[in-house]
Amino acid sequence: MTGNGSVTPDGPIITVESLSKTFANGVKALDQVSIDVARSEVLVVVGPSGSGKSTFLRCLNGLETADSGTVVVDGIPLDDNPQNRLEIRKEVGMVFQQFNLFPHMTVGANIDLAQMRVRKSAPREARGVTIELLRKVGLEDRVESYPSRLSGGQQQRVAIARALALRPKVMLFDEATSALDPEMIGEVLDVMRDLAAEGMTMVVVTHEMGFAREVGDRAVFIDEGRFVEVAPAAELFDSPREERTIAFLSKVL
Amino acid sequence: MILAAIRRWTGRTMLTGRTERVGRTGRTEKARRRYKPIAADIVVDIVAFAGLVTALALLLAHNTAALGYRWQWHRVPRYLLTFGDEGFQAGPLLIGVGVTLRIVAVSLLLSLTIALATALLRLSSSAVGQWIAGVYLECIRNTPLLVQLFFIYFVIAPLVGWDGWTSAVISLSLFEGAYASEIIRGGIVSLPYGQWEACYSLGLGRRDALRFVILPQAVRRILPPLVGQGISLVKDSALVSTIAIYDLTMRGQVIVAQTFLAFEIWFVVAGLYLVMTVSLSAFVGLLRRRLAVNYDR
Ligand SMILES: Nc1ncnc2c1ncn2[C@@H]1O[C@H](COP(=O)(O)OP(=O)(O)OP(=O)(O)O)[C@@H](O)[C@H]1O
Ligand SMILES: [Mg+2]
Repeated sequence: MTGNGSVTPDGPIITVESLSKTFANGVKALDQVSIDVARSEVLVVVGPSGSGKSTFLRCLNGLETADSGTVVVDGIPLDDNPQNRLEIRKEVGMVFQQFNLFPHMTVGANIDLAQMRVRKSAPREARGVTIELLRKVGLEDRVESYPSRLSGGQQQRVAIARALALRPKVMLFDEATSALDPEMIGEVLDVMRDLAAEGMTMVVVTHEMGFAREVGDRAVFIDEGRFVEVAPAAELFDSPREERTIAFLSKVL
Repeated sequence: MILAAIRRWTGRTMLTGRTERVGRTGRTEKARRRYKPIAADIVVDIVAFAGLVTALALLLAHNTAALGYRWQWHRVPRYLLTFGDEGFQAGPLLIGVGVTLRIVAVSLLLSLTIALATALLRLSSSAVGQWIAGVYLECIRNTPLLVQLFFIYFVIAPLVGWDGWTSAVISLSLFEGAYASEIIRGGIVSLPYGQWEACYSLGLGRRDALRFVILPQAVRRILPPLVGQGISLVKDSALVSTIAIYDLTMRGQVIVAQTFLAFEIWFVVAGLYLVMTVSLSAFVGLLRRRLAVNYDR
């Protein structure tokens, strides 16, 4: 578990500089955004639909390739080098709005897969880690279930366990609760809260403003691909400075 | 048969990973629902088909009587099976079935390999790969199979020293492979892109994603239309009789030429093809059922 970045244990774990991304259809999703994320920090990202939140998150693990600017995770630059990209993906877990569990595999197999194929763990060793992770999200009794047998909230908790399978240093959450029935949102947020308390570095895109304010260390308000306002979470939600932040928050709160 | 295919097809939307809660009793109900229709469909298909054949036969009998055709069914069995000193021996028609089955089996494997390779090339990011796959598809799909068969047998084969059998298998494989590759590609792109992204975000490469996540799911979607393609292969294989391969059709032609039992022999030949295609669907139906179990536990 020694990343290249252990040389600078106190520096930011994620450094983003002047990141821009325009899609083929001409939509400018990110416009010169820069930010540093400290170790164990929880950064929440809020903004209107289509403002570039997902694109920003996906640029952090190379699911999307920026046109210009740099992303460095734990000392590893995210560039054309596939080896670097792989290293970053091992260090960064991602949780999707739609869970994206593998429906043809059991819960256990979902979590084993990357351990065996990427970390080259032996099956029994992988399964041990899997059980431990499932215990963490409160689903150790569902190892042999297929995802379709679980509720939405349970599926998302499995997805979180799966994203943790490679022991990442950073977790990205893209609207992890937006596809859930209201009564299931709480159980997922609880897991995220626990992770934050354990000191996991997290970048969280969410529409749950209460949760964002409570768990977030810092918050970013993004609009039209720009970071309009970056501030400690309590400050951004309680006393936003920018006109557009105020307008947005007054609409969603 | 079409209805049954659609029912089977839509029946699997429940397998795409949407949340679905089923109570304790749901299990057996589900199992029954899953197993019965396939058996019932086949029975209905066969009964309907038998009815149609009977009606046709009656019509035919009526008309042939008018023509003065003399039915001689008693002369037919010897071309299927003879019983002599050495026990049962396959007659020319059954031997022809064997040849057809061998050609079909080898072509099926080869065409699936070609199809998978072509589908992956078309989905790859390599421009050259996409181009090669595209040219192959267009050439195959826009010329008649018979012409392809002649081209390979009369033009390519002499140059590279293939015999008729090899030419036949290669023509059929290239032809069916082109169509099957589109089926496979369709199955792959029909999966939610999130499945790929989940793999990538976990550090899995393209190859692992395909092998462990994409293809196992795509197979369940691809199989029904692929069976249809396999059935086409059985039927299209009759064309190899034109390059002097003694398959079922060729044997039929020879017997008819010698005995003038045209009606009887072609009835039997058609029936034998039918048996092959129906068995193929039934076999794959069984296979599918075994595959489907997984998702549903
Ligand atoms: N693959 C793509 N091709 C073209 N345009 C895209 C693509 N992905 C996103 N966009 C566009 O880029 C902009 C930013 O999209 P993004 O998904 O990052 O927004 P978001 O803030 O996550 O929105 P939401 O809250 O709806 O998820 C939007 O206008 C979107 O339409
Ligand atoms: Mg989004």
